[in-house]
Amino acid sequence: VGLAVLLVVLVVWQFAPLPDFILPPLQILKDFFQALGTAELYEHVWASLKRSLPGWVIGSALGATLGLAAGVARWFDRMFSPAVFLTYPVPKIVMLPIFMIWFGIGDLSKVLIIALACFYPVFINAYYGVRQTRTILVWSALNMGASRAEIFRRVVLPSAAPMILASLRVSLALSFIVMFAAEMINARSGLGHLTRMAENSLRFDLMYVALLAIAILGYAGDRLVRYANRRLLAWQEQPA
Amino acid sequence: VSERFSRFVLPFALVAAALAAWEAAARSGLWSKLLFPSLVNISREFVLFFSRPESLLEAWVSLTRALGGFALAAVVGVLIGMLMGRSKRVAEVLDPFFSGTYAVPKLALFPIFIFLFGIGSLSKVALVFLECLYPIVVMTYSGARNVNKVLLWSAQNMGASRAATLRRVVVPATAPFIFAGFRIAVPVAMIVVVITEMVSSADGLGYLVIYSLSSLRTDRMLAVVVVIAILGYLLDKAVVLARDRLIYWEKLDTYYV
Repeated sequence: VGLAVLLVVLVVWQFAPLPDFILPPLQILKDFFQALGTAELYEHVWASLKRSLPGWVIGSALGATLGLAAGVARWFDRMFSPAVFLTYPVPKIVMLPIFMIWFGIGDLSKVLIIALACFYPVFINAYYGVRQTRTILVWSALNMGASRAEIFRRVVLPSAAPMILASLRVSLALSFIVMFAAEMINARSGLGHLTRMAENSLRFDLMYVALLAIAILGYAGDRLVRYANRRLLAWQEQPA
Repeated sequence: VSERFSRFVLPFALVAAALAAWEAAARSGLWSKLLFPSLVNISREFVLFFSRPESLLEAWVSLTRALGGFALAAVVGVLIGMLMGRSKRVAEVLDPFFSGTYAVPKLALFPIFIFLFGIGSLSKVALVFLECLYPIVVMTYSGARNVNKVLLWSAQNMGASRAATLRRVVVPATAPFIFAGFRIAVPVAMIVVVITEMVSSADGLGYLVIYSLSSLRTDRMLAVVVVIAILGYLLDKAVVLARDRLIYWEKLDTYYV
């Protein structure tokens, strides 16, 4: 049923009278395949990925590490968590201009702003993942003579893993949004820049090519993370 | 480490250390004033912000854009999520659409929205609406889908009509999920408003940030950033407050992200 509705929408879209900034789907596909044959598109995609992926990895790794630490160590929790929860609802993208002043207008400031945005959801999920560990499991492990390190590795980590992995999906989506925003605001390459350039020069075909490229990237990344989730959490009965 | 020290001093230790380090960097003279404006200057600009009617107007513009898009998304999103949760047919049509495009940055549509709705508020509100719609629909759907079967059966057994079941069973059971969706959507609304104002606008707080930066007034820019931060924080608090009033039977202990 879903497929049929999608088809109807596409057909109507193709044949409806539209203003010239909304291209029909077949035209978009044609432009997209044409762009696939040029080096330009790959350069922009590569420039975008070069910013978003390191940012995602750094931010998520830091978030998971510090979140686990805050969940385990009370003094660290009390020192660190209030600052995190206080700044959580703040849109992190406003830090971009400051980062640009500190770290230059190159890739470093963009990678760092993406890392900052990715840090929050992963930290919070890792933190609550640890806090949700069932005390009875910890007691049993203690009772069986497990050391602190063993308890962390065998009890706490597995019970926090589903929430951490779920947050990786959120932070990946976030990394693409922030990457795109940062490139629209200030960049000389990347999909965000391409969109902006296309908009300014009224190259609607290019605009849709960039749009389709970012959509495919976002979708593929999401599928990959979800696939990794299922593989890593195979021992879990509930789907994450 | 004593308990009292850990409870009352540690929460402020990090923030205080960060602020002190900032001020030290500002005064050391190693970096230009542009890189680390002194906290004194930032707070002066912060106070000035509230004494200037035109900057308050910019804040108002941003706030109405964020809230307008969010409110629209709340109404439409809850409706769609409820329909998807209570009707298999609707879910079959809409679920592939929402889960397929969930991870796609809707921000990429902004240029098209500018052509569609113009460069003013409408294109921004439309984008806020679209970005907020997803978390609200997804959360409402997952809540409405998983209403406890026993409760539904009991209601039917006691002769409740469909409308009564919906109002007395489904809506209260879904409400916590709806608010979890709101809680995700509110920061998203702020993010989108600020980004769109930074990218293309002649008003709003995001524009003020870019404008202060290009006139090399980083102290003013940071003051605006603080204002945006406070706004984001207050909006989140408002959602939590509303949630605690409306869903008094369930305490908020998990932080959905």
